[in-house]
Amino acid sequence: MAATGDAPPSSAGQNPPDPGVSQAMQPSLADHQVTKVDAVKESSPTSVFVNSEPIREDQVENAVKFLSHPKVRGSPVIYRRSFLEKKGLTKEEIDEAFRRVPDPSPPVATTQPVVTNSDEQIKASSNAQQQPPAQNLQSTSVIPASSVPKKGRFTQFHWSHVLFALGFFTASGAGTAVLFKNAIIPRLKLWIRKVVLEEEKEEGMLKKNDKRSIEEEAAAAAKAAAIAAADVARASQEMLIATNEEKRFFEELISTLNVQVREMKSMSNSIKKLEEGQSISRRIIVDEQDYQRVSLTSSQLPYTNGKANNDSHSARSLSPPAYVEPSVGVQSKSYGEIMDMIQNGENPFNIRDVNDASSNPDQPVLNPRSEPRPKPWGFSRSQNSSTNVLDTQESGNISSYRLPDKQLNGDDPVPWWQRQNPRITEIESDNDQKSGPSNRLGIERPVQHSWVPPQPPPVAMLEAAAAIRQPKKRPYQKEEMTDDQSLARAPDVTDELQRITKISESGGFVDTDGEYSQVSSTEIQKEDNGSYL
Amino acid sequence: MPVFKTPFNGYSVKFSPFYENQLAVATSQNFGILGNGRLHILQLGPIITERIAFDTSDGVYDICWSESHDSVIVAAIADGSLKIYDLSLPPTANPIRSLHEHARECHGVDFNTVRKDSFLSASWDDTVKLWTVDRPASVRTLKEHAYCVYSVAWNPRHADVFASASGDCTARIWDVREPGSTMILPAHEFEILSCDWNKYDDCIIATASVDKSIKVWDVRNYRVPVAVLNGHGYAVRKVKFSPHRGSLIASCSYDMTICLWDYMLEDALIGSHDHHTEFAVGVDMSVLVEGLLASTGWDELVYVWQHGTDPRAS
Repeated sequence: MAATGDAPPSSAGQNPPDPGVSQAMQPSLADHQVTKVDAVKESSPTSVFVNSEPIREDQVENAVKFLSHPKVRGSPVIYRRSFLEKKGLTKEEIDEAFRRVPDPSPPVATTQPVVTNSDEQIKASSNAQQQPPAQNLQSTSVIPASSVPKKGRFTQFHWSHVLFALGFFTASGAGTAVLFKNAIIPRLKLWIRKVVLEEEKEEGMLKKNDKRSIEEEAAAAAKAAAIAAADVARASQEMLIATNEEKRFFEELISTLNVQVREMKSMSNSIKKLEEGQSISRRIIVDEQDYQRVSLTSSQLPYTNGKANNDSHSARSLSPPAYVEPSVGVQSKSYGEIMDMIQNGENPFNIRDVNDASSNPDQPVLNPRSEPRPKPWGFSRSQNSSTNVLDTQESGNISSYRLPDKQLNGDDPVPWWQRQNPRITEIESDNDQKSGPSNRLGIERPVQHSWVPPQPPPVAMLEAAAAIRQPKKRPYQKEEMTDDQSLARAPDVTDELQRITKISESGGFVDTDGEYSQVSSTEIQKEDNGSYL
Repeated sequence: MPVFKTPFNGYSVKFSPFYENQLAVATSQNFGILGNGRLHILQLGPIITERIAFDTSDGVYDICWSESHDSVIVAAIADGSLKIYDLSLPPTANPIRSLHEHARECHGVDFNTVRKDSFLSASWDDTVKLWTVDRPASVRTLKEHAYCVYSVAWNPRHADVFASASGDCTARIWDVREPGSTMILPAHEFEILSCDWNKYDDCIIATASVDKSIKVWDVRNYRVPVAVLNGHGYAVRKVKFSPHRGSLIASCSYDMTICLWDYMLEDALIGSHDHHTEFAVGVDMSVLVEGLLASTGWDELVYVWQHGTDPRAS
């Protein structure tokens, strides 16, 4: 399948950084402004990766119903959103539903329903009294019970409604029976009269008249009663259907919440046990009862046998990858042994202490020794430049590279930063030919990172904002970049040179904050000795 | 090519994007439950040899090679940290970075192949973090999933777009220029363990789930999958689109097999390999050598073979 051309076709520039950032990179990107601007124009309005569906009203209404449920109100917002997302609602629809539900705390995670609205709307009728006090607070959006059944809305006044309907039914039934009786009796008499017609015709006529009026009244009353009964039957049926729907929704939610509760209980158990002693908590029984999920919900442990739930360096905690019943053959034996050992509180004895901390956090990332290879599917920005300046250095290193042992011990008297010069100029000329706007760091000094994210909206991303605005504070920062940053990128050599000059000027000592030390900067020098031919 | 035996249980394999015969393997002790980890760099050839290995205090769950530096590799560690190694430096200088921000295990990493300057990490603390190699702190933290994020994948064509797969049964498409996700795909009824983009059609994405199926979606019409690939007997752990053939997918599963699919065909399953004797948890297809596959599993073996041949044949 060849690449289709429906997405932004520009092969050179794709979604470049923000205009605000690109200003800093303009000197190096001047060639490609045009293509980039085109790409920006094309990509932002017609991005394929965004929902373009209109909001579906029926889905929003269902979501509103769901969110209005009292039990849903008590759950964290994140679970409500997750449930709706799983049902296939888009973000816009979910936000719209949250907006419609009279809970003025939608996007922030909160578990407190607002009570003020509900108080006003609570009715003083017997219906309210029948509900437990907690539910009273949440019966805000309830429409009066009498008009509800026709619309099928869920109400709190469930029971009273049923009683009301029953009473109505009984009354109408009784009335129908009584009226019917009255209708039958006259008819009987009529029939008898007919048989003895000739003798008592006149009297029969009189009586018939009376009875006819009675008959008509009775028939009308019976009709009315029948219609009323039919109405009530229909209404109660609709209500039943609605109730079933709500029940289903409700049950799903309940089981999800149960799952969460179970997980929380198990976690609190494990915490308790941790506090008590060293023994790792017992495994939690895998529960496969969820309505649709196999033993993989959040409260479930991985693997067939469940898991210990220590944090930090102990066994994995609760929510690891979900595993269906794995093969019970070879794997379970040694796997089971390990699980048992952990549950019994012993550590598998083959673990050793490994110090894998970064020994030198400022270790600069050295220049790459070879060019990025082009991808078979294209779209890679580093394909353009075909300069082979660096190839001469790496002629022997294409297929395998050696650890730079040989190069570490440079034994020529020339200071290594002078030695660098030929390579630097080569690389600089290389840079001019290259495209790749953010593939390489901008030559501009102030740009410390090859890619700076666009300004995020002020609401979220506080951490990112902080990180962007205060990358790293250094005493000498205003003029130059820090060690690791300065050596981070291959083409960033001019900065390197300045830093190197600075270091050599200051006698190899750069005063930085706690992380860095004098030793490290000299180490850096040494390392660079080796890596740059 | 014969097999390589690792001392620990394998978790992930990745071919180097710079050198055809270089392969990285992430392994964890004791099936990754508890214990150390090791990152192997292997040299392929008539036999597979180990070039270097790095030990870690906790298991290594995933790795990704840098796209801009031929000797830099990023490892996702089970203690929530990310460690960056530079193979051109002596072992004592490694790791060159240890980035510890995630609160839970770090389960997936992916490097940007378009701009080649940043990478993403997926963690069980429900967040995805965006990093660059030179910064000691994350650039963005994206927290929207309601459960563990198992996998992230950059779009091969758009430098700012990526997808994430999570245990909350949704996959999300993000744009780093936007504050949050731009699309939510309720792709499966069960946890989604992996996702990957079609390298030749940037709107096609595949998701692999605990429900034993792989679904292929077109983001332009994401309500209905383009294809549903059934055939695995257990949860599908990883899915990978071929860098050379647009509709070829490789997948590995807890049924201990590696399967190859062509989702455009009616009968999508075109190959299946059962060389592993434990969960097969890692699979990769080489970008530089067409048809070269690698896989690893909890049986502590790494296989490298050419598509169409038998992995066990040497």
